[in-house]
Amino acid sequence: MSKIIDRSADIGEFVPEKDDDILVCRCEEITKGEIRKAVHMGLYTMTEVKRFLRPTMGLCQGQICGENVRRIIAKELKEPIEALKETTARPPVRPIEMEVFGNEVEKL
Amino acid sequence: MRRYDVCIIGAGPAGLSAAIEAQKLGMKSAVFDENHRPGGQLFKQIHKFFGSKEHMAKIRGFEIGKELLEEAKNVGVDVHLDAVVMGIYEPHRITVREDDSITSYSADSIIVSTGASEKTIPFEGWTLPGVIGAGAAQTMMNLYGVRPGKKILMMGSGNVGLVVGFQLLQAGCEVAALIDAAPRIGGYGVHAAKLARCGIPFYLSHTVVKAEGNGKVEKVTIAEIDKNWEFIPGTEKTFDVDTVCLAVGLTPMSQLLRMAGCKTKYAGGTVPVCDKFGETSIKGLFASGDVSGIEEASSAMIGGKISAVGAAFRCGFINEKEREQKYDEYSLSLFKLRKGLFSKENKGRTDITKTDEGIDLSMTLFKKGYMTEEELKKFVRNSEIKGPHPVIECTQNIPCNPCEDSCSFGCIHVGNEISAVPKFDENKKCRNCKMCVASCPGQAIFIVDNDIGDGYASVSFPYEFCPLPEIGEKGFALGRDGKDLCVAEIIDVTTNKAFDSTAVVTMKVPKEMSMTARFYRKEVPVNE
Repeated sequence: MSKIIDRSADIGEFVPEKDDDILVCRCEEITKGEIRKAVHMGLYTMTEVKRFLRPTMGLCQGQICGENVRRIIAKELKEPIEALKETTARPPVRPIEMEVFGNEVEKL
Repeated sequence: MRRYDVCIIGAGPAGLSAAIEAQKLGMKSAVFDENHRPGGQLFKQIHKFFGSKEHMAKIRGFEIGKELLEEAKNVGVDVHLDAVVMGIYEPHRITVREDDSITSYSADSIIVSTGASEKTIPFEGWTLPGVIGAGAAQTMMNLYGVRPGKKILMMGSGNVGLVVGFQLLQAGCEVAALIDAAPRIGGYGVHAAKLARCGIPFYLSHTVVKAEGNGKVEKVTIAEIDKNWEFIPGTEKTFDVDTVCLAVGLTPMSQLLRMAGCKTKYAGGTVPVCDKFGETSIKGLFASGDVSGIEEASSAMIGGKISAVGAAFRCGFINEKEREQKYDEYSLSLFKLRKGLFSKENKGRTDITKTDEGIDLSMTLFKKGYMTEEELKKFVRNSEIKGPHPVIECTQNIPCNPCEDSCSFGCIHVGNEISAVPKFDENKKCRNCKMCVASCPGQAIFIVDNDIGDGYASVSFPYEFCPLPEIGEKGFALGRDGKDLCVAEIIDVTTNKAFDSTAVVTMKVPKEMSMTARFYRKEVPVNE
């Protein structure tokens, strides 16, 4: 579904907007402006923005902000939201204590 | 590692239905749910469901939940609660956190029915306490008996916004307004009409500019938006509310499916690409319910059953012929639910101006949540009918027909096409049993008697608020827009078991008000 984002495409300069201060990712406290700036710094995919700024990496694991982050990046790239690949889904899908991970039960 | 024939993830309407069906087909089934209570969103749904008898229509959502759970236990499904599925691994293995340890389960088929989560819209001040999801509001009110706030602004006019908005009123909250960025009310007209006659204003093509307050929401400003979603200066309105409810859509929770590596597409969120049985691009991995595309709970229940049939074939419990037979039966039922003005194909369309019957749709209903008398006249004829008779203000093609079944005298006709607009058969005699009034899930049927003598008419309407009015009490009759019309006197309040907690209240109003008076408000005594 997602297409390869063309890195040579001209997306223009970063232009400040008045709602740049709005928090998008609440867990990691990242604003809309920070995400938009990151795109203009050359981070064109969800994975890159995630590694650079940490949106979708907090307690909610992107459940609340994921779609909003994706929409902001796509809009900045002038692409439809579905053109942008989501972040990789990995276990565990819910936050879990390391201690619990150690207690794997092997029952027959 | 523990083994089942089929593991189902999520014990909501789709998951439970899938588990019941699978177990009935001979599969050893287990359902896992991360919550302490099963049923998904069903136990928060205190309203009567739409559809026909086979879809459990006119039964309240939480009752459907209870029935499903009971059946799941009776047929021997293993229901694992507080069981968080952490990951999915090939082939068909899941790891589950139960208590403080992790257990692996393997199965021949896996059905993912994890549902959806609420979308949000970031605006200035959206992180203030008091900005909540509509689902959160429902959880607080309907599961825990807590009012989410005193005065609420609802954002979103889809069925979730409309239903939760009405439930907030039932819980005793004040609803300041319903707003939506779209130019039309997105949910059923009958749901909107329930709010409109309580006097709740709708602001279409409006969105929130900002929420303000000292440590919590105290004030919210909205404004009209143009076609490019830009605020139109000068259209700002401010409400002193302490809560903003967001009902701006749902995102499928498809992480597990993505993790498994199945093909996906974008449809308001990431959904798996499935065949008609809900089987994904990975053999033996199925998806059903909201995770495969947002729909109503009624369709999720059938979708769950279809997935179970697919899984039973995949694991060799039924043959191809049996599979097709079952599929035909269930898909017919699903097909009926997927028709009408709010079906997938018609969703978001604004060019539909007539019903399937060719009658003009009420445009005021889309904008303000109520119909004008002129618009209603195209659907109901009233003035010459003598004696009590139903006035059916259900004017959109919605797949729903409990009204037809409710009348034992055959006065109401919907027909095989359950999304047809119901009609009152004037040749049949209405015995004023009021069953139709109480069973309409959209609360859109009224019994009107144009002449009860002395220049008065009577209007019976459904009432789901506490306390009930008392016979002999006087107050104001309200119009469809919720505005005071005239003095009304309560002459009857009927409750009975068959009405399922909906009271039918009858008020006496001047004759000329018989087609305008649709609701009632007790006269509030003026304080000294």
